[in-house]
Amino acid sequence: MSPRFLLLLFVMAGLVVAFAPLPVQSVTPQERTIDIDARQYTYSPSELQVNKGDTVTIKLISTDVVHGLYVDGYDVSIEANPGQTATLTFTADKAGSFRFRCNVTCGAMHPFMIGKLTVGTNNWLYRSIGLATLAIFGTVISIKQKA
Amino acid sequence: MKRAELLSRLIVTVAVVGVVGTPLYLWSRTPIIHARMAENGGWTPDVIQAEAGKPLHLKLTSDDVMHGFAVGQMDMEAVSVEPGKVTDITLNFEKPGIYTFYCTRWCGLNHWRMRGTIEVSGSNTDLKPASPPLYVSLNLDIDAPHDATVVPNGQPSVSNGQSLAMDNSISLSHEEYLASSPFEVFDGLKNSSLTEEERWDIVAYLWQSNTTPDALANGKQLYAQNCAACHGENGAGDGVFADDLAATGEASMQTMSGAENMMMQTPVDFTDSARMLGATPALLQGKILRGGMGTGMPMWGSIFTEGQIWDLIAYLYSFQFEYPK
Ligand code: HEC
Ligand SMILES: [Cu+2]
Ligand SMILES: [Cu+2]
Repeated sequence: MSPRFLLLLFVMAGLVVAFAPLPVQSVTPQERTIDIDARQYTYSPSELQVNKGDTVTIKLISTDVVHGLYVDGYDVSIEANPGQTATLTFTADKAGSFRFRCNVTCGAMHPFMIGKLTVGTNNWLYRSIGLATLAIFGTVISIKQKA
Repeated sequence: MKRAELLSRLIVTVAVVGVVGTPLYLWSRTPIIHARMAENGGWTPDVIQAEAGKPLHLKLTSDDVMHGFAVGQMDMEAVSVEPGKVTDITLNFEKPGIYTFYCTRWCGLNHWRMRGTIEVSGSNTDLKPASPPLYVSLNLDIDAPHDATVVPNGQPSVSNGQSLAMDNSISLSHEEYLASSPFEVFDGLKNSSLTEEERWDIVAYLWQSNTTPDALANGKQLYAQNCAACHGENGAGDGVFADDLAATGEASMQTMSGAENMMMQTPVDFTDSARMLGATPALLQGKILRGGMGTGMPMWGSIFTEGQIWDLIAYLYSFQFEYPK
């Protein structure tokens, strides 16, 4: 096989991995309720995973001082006093990874009170893994051919 | 021409300085009140002077976390006191006296210790002498155990109790309600032909007939804001601070030697039937007014009006009786 043809083959494969439309995911949207415990200066859990289209209800329970929860990208927020569970409901209609953070000053380390919300499977992650594998594969082959 | 111009310029300048400067000057003169968590000093200053009939301007800010500000027994919207911001408020006191201001946003286990006073002076002296609270005039020992010896096997039915009470023409006046525990009323019906279950149903109805949906709703709100962090959102004594209170209690045992009844305790479980059905409204009022005196139960006498306390008490009994909504 000519090296040019090989190169072309790999570039084509790369393009497919990067841009080919995926079969539409057929996950039926669910209603999810997630209890989050907030204390200085963490959320537990601090990583949330939902599917696109889910109706997400977050129950925020503060166990020391007043804390908040603001989801970047969705621009929704709540504030919870200890003893008064606060509830936030929204539809996860935007896929991707979003940071959520405390939006009530709750002490010295307040700016570090953060968490992550992932909506939908992380396609870019799989695609980049695919591309990386392809690249390694290609390099190995081209080295072998030269040898 | 020149003079006229100069004069008008001068007038404009003076007006601008006056309009902008005077309020700014006054604003800078109102003292600023700093809020800190109780462990770190609470309010500074914690005593404020005011005069009856004259507006009191206050500036509030926080040095650590979010706090709130309100004056006890006063019909006012609580304001948030946030770090890095200054909140302005104006208060009006009609009557002279000593008022308590307090933090309205939970800022830790000792949040409720964040209190201060406003001393309002004035010549208006048409003050009614306060009548002693009911638990004093009834001579109740509010610290004595008061458990009911018989409790229902399940949730009493208010609607069944209503028809039974009608059929047997049983009622409970408001005075009787305030001074009796549900168990005492239950016990008082023992010479009737009614079964125990029926007697508890009647008691549940009598308790409901002594409150209103409005009072319950108000009590519920006050409870969520002021009590749930210790006593739990569902009344089970398992609020987010319950464990912390227990831990503090253990620590206090070492320091307060011998003073067994001065120890910190865990918050009362209002779903405990023996305890709640053995308590009279007057006793609960006494506990809420006076507090636990070192047990960890705050005193609320200077914060709530009498009506608010009765509403809270009506709500506390709803952890025992399921009132129809
Ligand atoms: C900081 C925690 C804390 C908060 C806030 C608190 N309590 Fe308590 N409470 C306790 C503890 C601890 C006890 C048990 C010790 C005692 O009885 O003094 C108690 C006991 C009581 C009792 C006594 C019950 C009995 O049978 O003797 C009543 C009534 C009560 N609380 C009502 C309230 C109400 C109403 C509020 C809100 C306005 C409230 N508490 C807020 C900690 C708290
Ligand atoms: Cu926070
Ligand atoms: Cu506070």
